[in-house]
Amino acid sequence: MDEMKIDENGNGRVMEQENERTEGYDRLSYPLKEFKVFEPLFRWARKKSIWIITFCTGCGGIEMPPLMNARYDLERFGMMPNPSPRMADLFLITGYVTPKTLKRIIITYEMMEDPKYIMSHGSCPINGGVYWDSYNVVKQLDRYIPIDVSIAGCMPRVEAVMDGIMEIMRKVERGEADGWKRYRDNYEWYRRNQDELFGKGWRKETARRWLKWL
Amino acid sequence: MEEGNREEVAEVALNDVVDAVIERAPYAQGKVIRERRVEFSIPAEKLRDFLRVMKESGFEMLMQITVVDWLKEGKFELVYQMWSVTHSTHAFVRLEVQRDDARLPTVMDIFPVAETYEREAHEFFGIDFEGNPRLGPFILEPREYEKHPFRKDFSTLSYVKEIYGEDFDRYDESKTNYVI
Repeated sequence: MDEMKIDENGNGRVMEQENERTEGYDRLSYPLKEFKVFEPLFRWARKKSIWIITFCTGCGGIEMPPLMNARYDLERFGMMPNPSPRMADLFLITGYVTPKTLKRIIITYEMMEDPKYIMSHGSCPINGGVYWDSYNVVKQLDRYIPIDVSIAGCMPRVEAVMDGIMEIMRKVERGEADGWKRYRDNYEWYRRNQDELFGKGWRKETARRWLKWL
Repeated sequence: MEEGNREEVAEVALNDVVDAVIERAPYAQGKVIRERRVEFSIPAEKLRDFLRVMKESGFEMLMQITVVDWLKEGKFELVYQMWSVTHSTHAFVRLEVQRDDARLPTVMDIFPVAETYEREAHEFFGIDFEGNPRLGPFILEPREYEKHPFRKDFSTLSYVKEIYGEDFDRYDESKTNYVI
């Protein structure tokens, strides 16, 4: 995603320029039109090299090590965990999300490069799950960031996570995993929901907590 | 040594520990729950004095401060959980304070680790620990500070609807009809 343009209030974005630049495309934009011929190849390559950003929330993080072991062995699909958001393609939301975590999730998600995909584990990101009346757990995560694949269950077993991974690979190959595109197109809506939850100017406030010189 | 015999010996030894503590602090009531567990209950104003006695009689560590909200009685019950390396024993020190305008002296100078637990109890239950300099916003979001969400009279469902939207109404307000 491009760099955000933030006005002096710390929110809002110059949407006109963005719309002008992105309208009329339905897939990734390439510098040369001829590159579109290779799109199936690119999709196949993208499907076979999904890197996961290492960001575990909630209880699903403990389901990840079995996926890396010999039995399921994620690396045969070219997947691997990576600590840098700039190099990652897939964001795993592994469990419930608190507002505090959601701030970090949004910031990390916006740091990732297009195309980027989100997969959510368990019922908590879908509707709150067992934390349905908790003051501190975000219900309906897809109001704040776009989700490509949701796995139901509490907590989904490794087989279910594997199924979700196969699903996202299918979606990437067919070009249906378009969460990043939806995030761009409906950025105002997502932004409004985020501001409703956190209050306006939350990005600057959050950044100022860690970077005192801002 | 037989199993039952060993337990009895351990309990007898623990009884001595409890008696020694109560001898130095006669306002406290104490008993042995089972092997490696003892319990004391004290009046709230004697807290600092009693914890000092405990530290000197072998309970070196303060492990946790937990709070129970007894809404009907109008009281907070605080449990100071302590661990003794000398006796390998867990001790619970219970005390009660009034629910409205709850105040307690800090025990930071006796057990420095109490600072964090006091901050937590202050944020979630609104108990004021006099003398702790770092009471204030701690873990919660800023809008939840001063709301004390762990109190029993904090209505979570209405707060959730206020924060996360009205369309979240799969359940009755009376919580009679659970779908989950």
